[in-house]
Amino acid sequence: MSASNLLVIGNGGAAIHAVQAARTAGHSGPIHMVSDTPGRAFNPMLSPYYLAGKIHFDDCFPFGEGFYKGYDITCHFGSPVEVLNPNNREVVLSGGKKLLYDKCLVATGARPIFPSASGLRSSRHAFTLRTAEETILLHEAMTKAKSALILGASLVGVKLAEILDQRGVKVTLVDIADQILPHAAHPDCAALLQNHLTQKGVEIHLGWTLEWVEEHEQEAYFHFQGGETLKADLCLVCIGVRPNLDFLNGSDVEVDQGILVDHRMCTSLEGLYAAGDVSQGRNLLSGKKEIIGLWGNACYQGRTAGLNMAGQRTTYPGAIPDHISTFFGLAFVHLGNPNHRGNDVTILSNHDLSQGPYRLMVFDRGILVGSNLINGFENAGSLKKAMIRKLNWSEHFGSLKNLPSDQDIERFLADIPF
Amino acid sequence: MACVVACQDENDLYGDGQSFIHVTRLEKGNHPSASLAFISLACLHCGDAPCLMVCPTGAIYKRDKNGIVDVHQDLCVGCHSCALACPFGAPRYLEDGKMSKCHFCVARLERGLEPACVRVCPTRAMGFGTMDSLSRQKVEKASTFILEPLMKIAGP
Repeated sequence: MSASNLLVIGNGGAAIHAVQAARTAGHSGPIHMVSDTPGRAFNPMLSPYYLAGKIHFDDCFPFGEGFYKGYDITCHFGSPVEVLNPNNREVVLSGGKKLLYDKCLVATGARPIFPSASGLRSSRHAFTLRTAEETILLHEAMTKAKSALILGASLVGVKLAEILDQRGVKVTLVDIADQILPHAAHPDCAALLQNHLTQKGVEIHLGWTLEWVEEHEQEAYFHFQGGETLKADLCLVCIGVRPNLDFLNGSDVEVDQGILVDHRMCTSLEGLYAAGDVSQGRNLLSGKKEIIGLWGNACYQGRTAGLNMAGQRTTYPGAIPDHISTFFGLAFVHLGNPNHRGNDVTILSNHDLSQGPYRLMVFDRGILVGSNLINGFENAGSLKKAMIRKLNWSEHFGSLKNLPSDQDIERFLADIPF
Repeated sequence: MACVVACQDENDLYGDGQSFIHVTRLEKGNHPSASLAFISLACLHCGDAPCLMVCPTGAIYKRDKNGIVDVHQDLCVGCHSCALACPFGAPRYLEDGKMSKCHFCVARLERGLEPACVRVCPTRAMGFGTMDSLSRQKVEKASTFILEPLMKIAGP
């Protein structure tokens, strides 16, 4: 079995699954983990449940404290990597400590993006939600807040809108796009959801761009392009995330938005791997390399990296973007690319939310490429399977003039061999 | 649909008609070669279960002894990630919002009993066991099907 020296930078889902897989595959050599976090791995996906009062803060750490000892990991926590030097196979930690490696995995995740509006980043009223520390800060701020502005009608933004609304906070949701959930929902579906949120008392402004923030003691005034101003004592920045890869500056590793990886999670450099939200692997739908920032995808990528670093040859084909989220009494699903454009695209949907579950399906030449569901998600997993396998729906449903019924879909998919 | 009802009974799912088993009716072809088939589907307890990989809390786990994929109800936050991960539509979400699904009637198995659905299947179409034992049973069944008529003609 391999006894090489493995180094994992990061301490999230990808990193944890990587070291777990390497040990399971029989790697007996040293494994070092380096992270700026103080200890046990945090799952950012769980912080909304903590903020909503559904779980304890300790429950946001699914692998616990004992994980590292159990897998015989040497931890260098609380010490971020300053520089990675792939030519010498070494990393330099803050404080100057150097570590050498034979194989290194970069699984440093991503951090929230701040819009460039002046005064926002330094505002005492502005918060983001990603790390354990950010979760604690936001939790504290939420208990005092009476009004909140959420910048970014993303899935996180909408979920936070619900949590704050349930606490009696007056919520205003603002997005630069002309619809809510611009990445996850087709405009038709977004309009239905927007209507629902408005009925629940959420104020929504679309197409608004924040220009500057006027800071006061108790609250802040948020000035938008075009002269609109909103007052709030809490501002949540939820416009997206960007990969943590500053320490790679100066190295030759191929980077687009994230670190480019192949189906074994190898980067362009020998001995260097990447996985999770920092990496850019295959989108099975578009065939292109894209960042698909999902907990499950990160865990699969991490496992694949770990197995390969331990000397196995294992591949991971890739993923498609998908989300399921419950908010304001609805279950919303996004599969693939509901905003897919093309010359031969068919979009089918049922239109009324009051008459049961809503389903929107986007086909390109008979192949399902995107879908939104509101409630009625029982078929979601099999729809995803159909999407990944690029099944041709027009061979079964003809010209696809009408939205196939749930029963028709069930029969169509049940008849496909697994 | 006896399996569906047996599952509801076993798991006290009588409230809203949910069952951990779903039966799909498949009609194929036209007269005179039309055929009708039923597929009874519950959790397949996958070897490398995708629901387990995507579960953010570790609520979904695999039992070491028998490979059954089960759920720690107290850890489930009801995020529904498993609903997207499962290609078979096995996860169910009950009134408390947490995931519940076929657990292979593990309590019955441990007492040496068959799963409830297998017990009631009137045609014995359903079975359970390891892949090896199931394929052996299939081979035996097929051989009997072929050999029995021959024995009748040829005599013992």
